[in-house]
Amino acid sequence: MATTYPRRIYTSFITNIVDIPSRLVALLCFLLLLLFPVTRPGTLLLYVLTYTNIIAIFAASWDLLVGRVGQISLGHALFFGIGAYTTALLYKFYALPLWATIPLAILSGASVAVLVGFPSLRVKGPYLALVSMAFPLILTGLIFYFREWTGGENGIWGLPRFFPIGFFTQMGFPYSEALYLQKIAEYYLTLLLLLASGILLYKIANSKIGITFISILDDEQASKSCGINTTKYKLMAFAITACFASLAGAVYAHIITSIGPASTLSVTLSFLPVIMTMFGGIGTIYGPIAATFIIQTLDLYILRKVVDVPLEWHPLIFIIIVVIIIIKWPRGIAKFVTDKFEDLQEARELEERGKHIWKREKKKSSISKG
Amino acid sequence: MHLLEIENLTKSFGGLTAIKNVSLHIDEGEIVGIIGPNGAGKTTFFHLISGFLKPDSGTIKFRGEDITGLEPFKIVNKGIARTFQVVRPFRHLPTIANVMVALNSPRGSKKIEWLKTPERKALEMLEDVGLSEMMLEPAENLAHGDLKRLEIARALATEPDLLLLDEPFGGLSPIETEYLTKSIQRMHMDGHTLVIVEHKLHALMKLAKRVIVLHYGEKIAEGTPEEMAKNEKVIEVYMGKAK
Repeated sequence: MATTYPRRIYTSFITNIVDIPSRLVALLCFLLLLLFPVTRPGTLLLYVLTYTNIIAIFAASWDLLVGRVGQISLGHALFFGIGAYTTALLYKFYALPLWATIPLAILSGASVAVLVGFPSLRVKGPYLALVSMAFPLILTGLIFYFREWTGGENGIWGLPRFFPIGFFTQMGFPYSEALYLQKIAEYYLTLLLLLASGILLYKIANSKIGITFISILDDEQASKSCGINTTKYKLMAFAITACFASLAGAVYAHIITSIGPASTLSVTLSFLPVIMTMFGGIGTIYGPIAATFIIQTLDLYILRKVVDVPLEWHPLIFIIIVVIIIIKWPRGIAKFVTDKFEDLQEARELEERGKHIWKREKKKSSISKG
Repeated sequence: MHLLEIENLTKSFGGLTAIKNVSLHIDEGEIVGIIGPNGAGKTTFFHLISGFLKPDSGTIKFRGEDITGLEPFKIVNKGIARTFQVVRPFRHLPTIANVMVALNSPRGSKKIEWLKTPERKALEMLEDVGLSEMMLEPAENLAHGDLKRLEIARALATEPDLLLLDEPFGGLSPIETEYLTKSIQRMHMDGHTLVIVEHKLHALMKLAKRVIVLHYGEKIAEGTPEEMAKNEKVIEVYMGKAK
């Protein structure tokens, strides 16, 4: 048994990842990101990529809710904000350690999602989108009202980091080096979290539950007539997606170390996953992740450091690129890339078993003629 | 005890009474046809039984249990499945996954035989209606006749005690009609109780042992197909009054 186990892992790795071209591309992209710090990038680029990892989790979670269940939410920042504020407030008032506050943040995100999910049982489509837009604004209002605790528009400062600087200085690194290593450690942490959440979201989207989700997206009445409790599944979708969004929010709070309503509950943040998903391919999960990396590095790094474009021009350039891509590949870039590879795969399959398939096609056409 | 017992069912939309005081019963192992001209309230009647509409008054009892006004999915899990007059497939899902949605429901998953995977069972359901070749094809690529059969496979996946078919022959070619007639007969042999709403009387007469005629929401006649073909009231409803 013991000798066969690594072998089994190896074969399942080959058949499930390497043999499928689009997954191989995803693996290569991940390896690229994993090896990226070897080149010793600047602190800014490292920071941008860390932030991108977090936003990618956030965007992918939106895609599960909208692309797979069809519950359009334009207030997804609510869950991000709930995650960030829960962990910050728990630290501020109870000084709880990180490993306790982040799970609690996820839990509170999920329970808020169930509450917020109830309107979705009454209103549908664009109406739900409008209702959901209000939720982050309501929370912002509450944060301003309870400003003694939440700090109002100034937010909460001085949150602990994942890897305190002392951790590296004790290992004998000089202070400047320790600062850099801290950034690298945070980058790896967020990258691994992204990998884990990406795989988990993809697994959920393609599981038994995922099939039921799509049935609700396609035709809710028909889904009910199949004996599916659509109410339960919709609330479940809200809870799952909120878990990942609030995880992103909580991690964000400890990377940036300060949070405020402008950075965690803004309308811009709510629309970010919408743009990423439209750009990357709706309902794919990996699409928004890929799109986040392209758009965020373009917006936060290339247009600022590589090509020095004045900040005021960014939205325009940004929108032109997005619109061109959406017109050119309406199903999103990720879908376009995988389609390319899947086509190749189909062609190869035809080559290998050509005669067999040809026979079957012939038989089918003769049946339809008869 | 009857399998399904309906008493004084009434439903009105504003001023229009779509179903007026209809009482009927359906026994285990029957094939019952419901016919009537356009607008007779046949589809409304199905909506009421399957829970998509709530009746204004009257009771629906299934195996002696009151199911009036329950949510549609609860009624399916009690053992009444239905198909739609206009096909409603899950267009983005492959054909086999369409059936697997029904197998994910509480009743569907409970009824899967021991040591059998849902995929295997879904494939068998598709084989029964002759769609197994198309199992990985997204439902949006299927022809209308195939979709009609897919609807039936999906409804059967929950292993219903009572199956309501809403115009199963609508829009089918004569060959497809004959094929479907045979598979409905096979379902009957397998022990399913069926209620069929249909316009195509010819196809229905072959199947049903008992026919109920609805007209403007009222039950005007009930009996064997032969009796109904001779019934003056029924002829009047369909052809107009003889002068």
